[in-house]
Amino acid sequence: MSGDVTAAQPAAPALSVRGLSKTFVGQRALTDVDLDVAPGEIRALVGENGCGKSTLIKILAGFHEPDPGAVVTVAGEPLALGRPGAGEAAGLRFVHQDLGLVAGLDSVDNLALGKGYRARRAGFIDWAGERRAAQAALRRLGYEIDLRTPVGRLTISERTAVAVARALWGSVGGRPARAQRDGEPGSATSSASSSATMLVLDEPTANLPAAEAARLFALVRTVRDAGVSVLFVSHHFDEVFALADSVTVLRDGRVVATRPVAGLSEPELVELVIGRPLELHEDLGLRSARADTVLSARGLHGRVVAGVDLDVHAGEVLGVAGITGSGREDLAGMLFGGVPRSGTVSVAGREVPPQRPDRAIAAGMGLVPAERHANAAFLAGSLRENVTMVDVRRNVVGGLLRHRRERSDVVHWLERLRVRPARSESAMAALSGGNQQKVVLARWLRQEPRVLVLDDPTQGVDVGSKAEIHGLIDAAAANGTAVLVLSSDHEELARLCHRVLVLRSGVVTDELHPPALTAERLTASTIGSLSERV
Amino acid sequence: MNASTQTEDGPVVVAEPASAEVPDAGRRRVRVPGLGLERFSGLYVWGALVVVFGVWMPDLFLTPDNARIVAGDQAITAMLALGLIVPLAAGVFDLSIAGVLGISSVVVVWYQSNGGSPLVGALLAILLGALVGAVNGFVVVRLRVDSFIATLAMSSILAAGAYWVTNGQQIVEGISPGFVSFGTAQWLGIPVPVYYMAALALLLWVFLEFRPGGRYLYAVGGNPQAARLAGVRVNRIVFGSLVASGTIGGFAGVVLAAKLGTGNPTSGPAYLLPAFSAVFLGATQIKAGRLNVPGTLVAIYLLATGVKGLQLAGAPVYLNDLFNGLALILAVALAARTHRKV
Repeated sequence: MSGDVTAAQPAAPALSVRGLSKTFVGQRALTDVDLDVAPGEIRALVGENGCGKSTLIKILAGFHEPDPGAVVTVAGEPLALGRPGAGEAAGLRFVHQDLGLVAGLDSVDNLALGKGYRARRAGFIDWAGERRAAQAALRRLGYEIDLRTPVGRLTISERTAVAVARALWGSVGGRPARAQRDGEPGSATSSASSSATMLVLDEPTANLPAAEAARLFALVRTVRDAGVSVLFVSHHFDEVFALADSVTVLRDGRVVATRPVAGLSEPELVELVIGRPLELHEDLGLRSARADTVLSARGLHGRVVAGVDLDVHAGEVLGVAGITGSGREDLAGMLFGGVPRSGTVSVAGREVPPQRPDRAIAAGMGLVPAERHANAAFLAGSLRENVTMVDVRRNVVGGLLRHRRERSDVVHWLERLRVRPARSESAMAALSGGNQQKVVLARWLRQEPRVLVLDDPTQGVDVGSKAEIHGLIDAAAANGTAVLVLSSDHEELARLCHRVLVLRSGVVTDELHPPALTAERLTASTIGSLSERV
Repeated sequence: MNASTQTEDGPVVVAEPASAEVPDAGRRRVRVPGLGLERFSGLYVWGALVVVFGVWMPDLFLTPDNARIVAGDQAITAMLALGLIVPLAAGVFDLSIAGVLGISSVVVVWYQSNGGSPLVGALLAILLGALVGAVNGFVVVRLRVDSFIATLAMSSILAAGAYWVTNGQQIVEGISPGFVSFGTAQWLGIPVPVYYMAALALLLWVFLEFRPGGRYLYAVGGNPQAARLAGVRVNRIVFGSLVASGTIGGFAGVVLAAKLGTGNPTSGPAYLLPAFSAVFLGATQIKAGRLNVPGTLVAIYLLATGVKGLQLAGAPVYLNDLFNGLALILAVALAARTHRKV
């Protein structure tokens, strides 16, 4: 891979993929994918969750080996598939969603991560040279960053810039800079950049506020202007229209279309993504305020959430939809007190202070949190301990916990939720994901809460348990519990909820009621194609 | 069955149900379905040790005096180990507990040598232990210093304090005979510290098994985030656990001073490692996979019996330290191995 590949062969596409398929044990993830990205082109890659976007990226990065028969070339040269590092060596650069930065280190150190320090003087790191090179690299992206600041204290777009600079210019692969003298930062960066053919950005804006996203767009254009093609994965359609030259749509592992952005309308793109035209229902009449409001939140603000009001009534199942980064994943914790917030939350008229899960519980709230292993399960504990944790005192008689009483209390709930095995002394870790989730649900149903908040309640749960959990949620609502379900699973929301709020960038942008409450409509609304209408 | 542990988040590398064999026994792992034999392996090994040494040296080993010495000598270590269970169950270390033992033992003696009443001196010493625990709790909970570092630093401060109180000298003057008998008397042929230890063990066992607070301790140690989201006041539990270990360390110091009849500023630190060995080894016993009171007692007396037997057989004095160090590594390694298997 000699120096100026892109400049020397302008005709060869930056990336060419032919006949790429990938089968995971019995599951087809990608089918016969063809993809061409021209030099200097910004290409968006869109599709619903599970459409195969990340599989494709991982194949390019060498993490997965595709089925035999695929041909991938980078700037005209064939890419060895299934070998980690081969993509990098061929000129592909990857910035993953989590950026892969070490928060406690400054930009100079982060740029050196993985590739080592370039500027050396007699075997020692030449810090002045490193700093000059880092500054030059970041300036090329349009960023002036205090190099001594730990990256954890930079804004998100600045962090992205550091990650992009590292991907483009921190590399050793194909770089003639080994031979280069230190102290020539400008030439070091420019010669290194010539080996980068394409930058792959995996959902770079997932957690970005709007102003930060605008800076990031400028960064992407700067990269393009340096002669590097960009392939970016996105969930936000407005980004696709603002930034990309062309867009490739994946659905169920197949490329369904590649279109220039010019001349494409948003409804057309939505239709390509979800595979059928959207039926618009215009009858979103405002409901009159109901008297039986149980959970009420006003002016919620948090890390991403920027002013959310919501009311959940007795017997109602309210859903909240939103893509990752919309604020949906913070909302349950903010209401319950697990995540910092401002704004007021009250249960049946009684205000619940922030950051106090114990007070929320006392007011009658329950939370089945997302990420069960981190937030809900005591894996080494018995089912008895897991179920009774919220109210251990119930089985205290005369100052002592009565184990026998506790056991029958727990077994009653395990049987009611059909947990298998329904043995109170089994270790939580020994249960399947679905059964563990039912144990967590049993913990809260046992409390007979006024409000039950469920955050991605069927994540990592088998199909059978999922249906059972849905049945239990229905039953709780039928008993008068106010239920709030936050989920990334739009089928689930459509199945469970009486109405659904859609969050985008921290604010409620839509509210869907039946009959408009369908998974397709939810998907369309979360990615923004309907936001103008509301 | 005996489900349980505070593992991944706590400092305790101790493991899941299955349970581990006893380190010094060299027994093969016996897989018995249902009620595992392994969790009682410590008792069997202990019995085997008594039989072996008894047959080998019936005149030296199998004497009431020897049993009394082993029981009495270990009472202080056992109290310290019991005190350690509380913070370790909640997922925090208390490395300062032996420092508390040391300073408490000199404070109670110093107070008497300056003409104070032994009872008031003892209460002051115990209160000091509780105060040290509260400071530890403040540093860990409010200042967010890792408990390992915070209590390691505290143990250094306490060593300095013990030196300051005594001027670096042993205090031997002015100690009330009544106070000495509090640590040396015997009842039914057994030294009284053994009864104090047994009372403490009973109290702690009841607390851990039959009080909601015990449940919260294990929950916080097992998954602090999940505990918080189940309404447990995690910071309070951590703070309280350190106050408890400090208080217990203070009480053990008073008993130590009475047993020795002197105030020795350097006596504390030597008790730390044996106590830790016993707690971690104990977590492989009885309620395997979870720090527990009976398991800890089995571990204490198993180790002590082994050491005593070998000493009587003519092994050198450094054997004690060697034994405890090896036992600690083996206990934690075995527990970690069982954990990996799950």
